[in-house]
Amino acid sequence: MSSHYSDKFVYHEPGLQHQFDDMGQQEESVSIGMWFFLVQEIMFFGGLFTAYLVFRSKYPMAFAAGSNHLDAFWGGLNTLVLIVSSLTMALTVYYAQKGNRNMQVILIVLTMIFGATFLGVKAIEYTDKYNHGLIPVAGLNKKVKAEAGAEHGGAAEKPCWEVDHNAPPVEHPNPHGEFIWTDCSLAKMALDENILTASEKNQYLVRDENNKPVIDTNKFRDKVRIFFFLYFVMTGLHALHMIVGLGLMTWLLWSAFKYKYNGDYYMPVEMSGLYWHFVDIVWIFLFPLLYLLGRHFIHGG
Amino acid sequence: MNAQEAISTGYGGAAKLNYLTNGTTLKSWLLTKDHKRIAIMYLVTVSAFFLMGGLYAATIRLELLTPASDLVESGTYNKVFTQHGILMIFFFLMGGLYAATIRLELLTPASDLVESGTYNKVFTQHGILMIFFFLIPSIPAILGNFLIPIMIGAKDLALPRVNLISLYIYWLGGGLTLFALMQGGVDTGWTFYAPYSTTFSNSFVMLVGLGIFINGFSSILTGLNFIVTIHTMRAPGMTWFRLPLFVWAHYAVSLVMVLGTPVVAITILLLAIERVGHVGIFDPTIGGDPILFQHLFWFYSHPAVYIMILPGMGVISELISNFSRKKIFGYEFIAFSSIAIAVFGFLVWGHHMFVSGQSIYAGMVFSFLTMVVAVPSAIKMFNWTATMYKGSISYDTPMLYAIGFMGLFLIGGLTGLFLGAIGLTVHLTDTYFVVAHFHYVMVGGQVIAYLGGIHYWWPKMTGKMYSEFWGKISAMLVFVGFNLTFFPQFILGYQGMPRRYASYPEEFQVLNIFSTAGASVLGIGLLMPAVYLMHSLFFGKAAGDNPYMHPGLEWRTSSPPPTENFEVMPVVTWEAYEFGEESGMDLEAAKQREAVTA
Amino acid sequence: MSIVKYLLVFGLLVFGTIATYVAATVDMDRFFVGANTLVALFIAFTKMTFVMLFFMHVYWSKRLIWLAAVASFFWLAIMFAYTMQDYLTRGSGVFSS
Repeated sequence: MSSHYSDKFVYHEPGLQHQFDDMGQQEESVSIGMWFFLVQEIMFFGGLFTAYLVFRSKYPMAFAAGSNHLDAFWGGLNTLVLIVSSLTMALTVYYAQKGNRNMQVILIVLTMIFGATFLGVKAIEYTDKYNHGLIPVAGLNKKVKAEAGAEHGGAAEKPCWEVDHNAPPVEHPNPHGEFIWTDCSLAKMALDENILTASEKNQYLVRDENNKPVIDTNKFRDKVRIFFFLYFVMTGLHALHMIVGLGLMTWLLWSAFKYKYNGDYYMPVEMSGLYWHFVDIVWIFLFPLLYLLGRHFIHGG
Repeated sequence: MNAQEAISTGYGGAAKLNYLTNGTTLKSWLLTKDHKRIAIMYLVTVSAFFLMGGLYAATIRLELLTPASDLVESGTYNKVFTQHGILMIFFFLMGGLYAATIRLELLTPASDLVESGTYNKVFTQHGILMIFFFLIPSIPAILGNFLIPIMIGAKDLALPRVNLISLYIYWLGGGLTLFALMQGGVDTGWTFYAPYSTTFSNSFVMLVGLGIFINGFSSILTGLNFIVTIHTMRAPGMTWFRLPLFVWAHYAVSLVMVLGTPVVAITILLLAIERVGHVGIFDPTIGGDPILFQHLFWFYSHPAVYIMILPGMGVISELISNFSRKKIFGYEFIAFSSIAIAVFGFLVWGHHMFVSGQSIYAGMVFSFLTMVVAVPSAIKMFNWTATMYKGSISYDTPMLYAIGFMGLFLIGGLTGLFLGAIGLTVHLTDTYFVVAHFHYVMVGGQVIAYLGGIHYWWPKMTGKMYSEFWGKISAMLVFVGFNLTFFPQFILGYQGMPRRYASYPEEFQVLNIFSTAGASVLGIGLLMPAVYLMHSLFFGKAAGDNPYMHPGLEWRTSSPPPTENFEVMPVVTWEAYEFGEESGMDLEAAKQREAVTA
Repeated sequence: MSIVKYLLVFGLLVFGTIATYVAATVDMDRFFVGANTLVALFIAFTKMTFVMLFFMHVYWSKRLIWLAAVASFFWLAIMFAYTMQDYLTRGSGVFSS
């Protein structure tokens, strides 16, 4: 028998792929690979954060006004839900290393439940936006027929900054499902206190018949619409990553259920964990940047 | 020793199993995890895209033969091109030659090739195919995929299935884009500037955008794979500073791919949403900013040009040192300059936007940094020249390409500095000067380096030698044709001829005729390798393991290599580029020995 | 890392979330424009650091992983800074365009 190099006589650890010499090399490679994938994902979201940065620095009041209309309760709840799911995910990795299959399965299921809760809350939020005409694309909002002799006859003549925040919310007529925004009270407050930036003065105001600068409803609405566009794209992309994460969890659940992971071989769990934590971190930034922009105007200012 | 053992050991007289013969079914190729097979499949696809991009270029040059914007009506052109587009995909060269013949036949003195709307589509599609589907994948996906594991002494890349998915994604993105081009294509320019692409263009922006978006992930995954492989799969003894400079260049390129490509992906996504929803982020009348699109787009697209040139520079380092039989001068400087180009390349994107409306202050910063980013490239040029000094130079085909690269990249790089100076750029922006500049660096640089690399490693990849005679002829044709095509364009540019125009003032015609004439020579020079390289596959002389007597690891295995790359995994005890008698890699001594024993 | 330590980090994260919310309701822009944003971002960065170091195990990882994590934020910073240097210098100050 020839004495050439033969794989038959070498012990291969289970899960070791052919191109690696040993498990340590495989673990190191997979780890670096996953981290650089996350680096790439950071740059992917980074483009959106750049757009956010540009437009927020141009139109801070419009962004604050839009932000106030988001429900910080749901946003905060989502943040907590994701943090809990991060904890359960980290513990899944812990138990995978210990080889405790039952705890792994329980914790993955919990992680998935919290992930699904997050998506459910997002669905509630998006439906709410749909009902209130806050989706920035014309035609995608709920179409509300304009009634003859509408109760809004008087509202059309009021300037956009005279808004009664304590009145019960009413459904505006919206026959074409367009983006509607009629509240520029925050801009008015900023105009009065002279904290509008030069760019904002340029973009929100028009001269009325007395040549005084007043806020133009349509112009302000356009800037708020940019806020909602960024809101939907950023949280939408994040939700998409969440869905992918849930898919990943499903696969992980199935493998863990089959006793695949233990102290010698747990990298898939660790790598899935890295992805999940990344999705959590993105939300940690999205929450204050989207939901908490204008609260201090209402409560403190 | 029975037949089975004889085949698998490779010792004794029996034919060895190499990566080409190890499994001959279609399934074994399409589901392969072997990086070398994946590289060959990339080679075939990339060559097809190169041909298609070249046909668009031919159309451009035919149109620009006359000042008027003319040629057949766009409807007929589209139909003819579409029909031959289908032929082209299935019969690569044959279909291409067929289409070119039709085009030439329809050319009349008062030529009327395409009307302006169609011309917009022609240069757009030329740019898209060449940049995204040829230049960016060419060297990394073909030569990088094939050689990096062998050069570092590994059995395969770290993540072979990711490599295969990369290939599939490339096919998917490319296929989608081709489909869109056959439906009618895009006319926005490869730069897709808003608001034309978002609001006014009636072409297939979404579909092409989707194709490019998908293709971006192919690029990202390839880069990711290389980074992991180079970190973890090096053979024992292969330290970072013993790596071939080809590997260093690909490491730098991979960093750029991973960090930059996602940004263009998100930009295309925003473009697509804007096109569908008309929200207004790029529309100044409702508060948006078209310059934001340009910032996001060029944040990737400038590093993209470094993705295109860095692998070429890696190839040139290998070629120059081999054909000068001398250790590369300043190894660490070249290695670190690759990393420097990758890093600094991210800081200069605004030099594409000097006249766009960005602030003058930003323009100044970007202009200064553009001057800075030229320095690492210059360091490489000096080091290559120093390598050649007092070297024993042999003018084989790859060396002809390498020397051509040095001259042409020099001109391209210097003219880039002219364009980086704000005072000059105001006059030269959007003229043919810019077109000439980037063709000098991309074609004179990258394509020539690509051809040099393909020729140099052809014996390793296929086990056959190509005809040196035809190789040298086509190298010279490429060099002459290229200069004839693009040097007049510098003059046209500073005389004021705008780019992306199908018609031009009469006084520019003479130089345009030179340019088109040069393009035909260039075209022939670029098509010839396809012919003689394919010929060598069937009729070429068998190449030995190490026809160039190079000390690199890739030359210490058989040509073509076995599937696992090496019979016995190597342990590296020598520095990079150790030519000469001590290492046993002395070409002169080997030739003398051969002469004596012949 | 023991389960107790994971729970500690978790507690810190929850505290951070509540702190972000409360801080957002207090007007700190009296001190300087953008104070609220700065506080919110500071808290978010701290939360992210804890998730990365302890949940993602960067604390125990090789230096290359540290480098990858830090470098990606450095690249984000490049993208933000160089884009904003355009927007912030338009039509203002010494250089007006």
